[in-house]
Amino acid sequence: MNLFNTLGILIDRPELLGGPEAPAGLGEAGLLGYGAGTLGLFLFLRMHGAVPPGALSFAIVLVLVLALNYFMASVIHLFMDLTGARGSAGRLFGVFGLSDYLLTALVPLAFLAKLGVVGSFMSLLLCALLVIYARVRLVRRVYPVSGNKAVLSVLLPYAGLIAAGFMASVYFSVWLVWLAMGM
Amino acid sequence: MEEQNNNAPQTPPAQPPLPAAKSPARSGSAFWVKLLAALYAVSILTAYPVITRMDAARTAHPKESELTRLAGLSEKGKDAVGVVPIYGVIAQGDSSRPWDRGSQQIAKQITNMAKRKAVKAIVLDINSPGGSVGAVQEIYSAIMKAKAETHKPFIARFGEVSASGGYYVASACDQIFALPGTITGSIGVIFSVNDFAGLMKKIGMENNTIKSGKFKDIGSPTRPMTPEERKLLQGMIDDSYDQFVHAVALGRHMTVEQVKTIADGRVFTGRQASGNGLVDKLGDLQDAIDAAGLAANIGRNPRVVTQPDPFQQFFSMLDSRLSFSGTKAVTDALESAPTLEYRWYGR
Repeated sequence: MNLFNTLGILIDRPELLGGPEAPAGLGEAGLLGYGAGTLGLFLFLRMHGAVPPGALSFAIVLVLVLALNYFMASVIHLFMDLTGARGSAGRLFGVFGLSDYLLTALVPLAFLAKLGVVGSFMSLLLCALLVIYARVRLVRRVYPVSGNKAVLSVLLPYAGLIAAGFMASVYFSVWLVWLAMGM
Repeated sequence: MEEQNNNAPQTPPAQPPLPAAKSPARSGSAFWVKLLAALYAVSILTAYPVITRMDAARTAHPKESELTRLAGLSEKGKDAVGVVPIYGVIAQGDSSRPWDRGSQQIAKQITNMAKRKAVKAIVLDINSPGGSVGAVQEIYSAIMKAKAETHKPFIARFGEVSASGGYYVASACDQIFALPGTITGSIGVIFSVNDFAGLMKKIGMENNTIKSGKFKDIGSPTRPMTPEERKLLQGMIDDSYDQFVHAVALGRHMTVEQVKTIADGRVFTGRQASGNGLVDKLGDLQDAIDAAGLAANIGRNPRVVTQPDPFQQFFSMLDSRLSFSGTKAVTDALESAPTLEYRWYGR
């Protein structure tokens, strides 16, 4: 099926995401979403000189994005499963790809940021919030859960990653001090 | 469009819950998706030349990062005096890792520091009893080459001890600063080897050596040294000593005879050394930095640049911690072989 038609159908009839069978073309549309979204993010970062150029550099960012989303879909599915909500982890991974289409907005936003119309950080924050909002809505389509639970499930992996990062940075700082004291 | 949207809700009864795969009907939103995709493609095509130009601009005018500024590695800003520390026994590193602390890394630091445009003079902060002849001469050679190529002033500063090889290195500098109580001097060469023959005989241990020539196991700790070997080693020591004396004479603008009168291995305090010409002035590190600033015409209290860079320091820290230091120290001690040294063993 034509990917544009698939996306059009999913926009028109999002209830299909919660059906007994996965909508046809969801996997391909989701993967294309990861690709397009990562390309938008990559170009945004390239315009700010934050990542090196080249196809390999893009491939690394794409792999990172895919791995992160795979991890998030797994954690959310685990959380849903443990709390009694039934749904498909594969479909969740696919719909996260759909939400990543919003990251394509980073390319025009990068131009606006360079013109000084909006801040770079604000652009990133705006897109991140849009993606999170879209994911909450999409999680509710895949799993029959309340809005609050969907918000909690989407934010849970982020909170976990932030907490782990914070603890790692604290330990790293202490470790550095310990290393320096032993010199 | 509206017609399509209005028609869409009518289809579900015919193709109920999940007929996305079975209903290739064109969606109303598909048009907008295509439009957005086209706009995205245009923005990507527009972004490409912009990014290319930005990259070119960045390459032409590299921007200083905060880290670079913090590390004092910036080539911008006012002129500076570079400080290179030479601490501890001078020896060849056992690897070519940039964060190692062997003579080759110190020599490289000196060379790199001298090449930096912002660095107008270099201070060698020496606190060393010397070390192996080859390692000391490697650093000495790096200083002489850097001086010849860049004509930048080199100032040596002595800490607690700067004797023998530590002084050899300093003799290449234009000025030498020492603390009044610094231990320095010890101009000479040493080669020492233990003789475990008696001990081995006592415990019933025997060493069998098969050699291609009579001097092949010279310096072996398993048997007493022969007079011939002693004569041969004395010749090497005399030659190395002569190199040391000539280096001091050249650097301190003294005659070889003048140097030899104080080059019998004796040590001096910094104040004594300033009296016999081995040291130019008494002072601390800041005095040496000020003198370097004045010698380079950038004034007193100049900006100071240190090496190694933070990444090298970090890896050096890691290496010193993760190399299982205890075991390594024992291994090094067991594997050490007698060598010719410009070293003072009083410390």
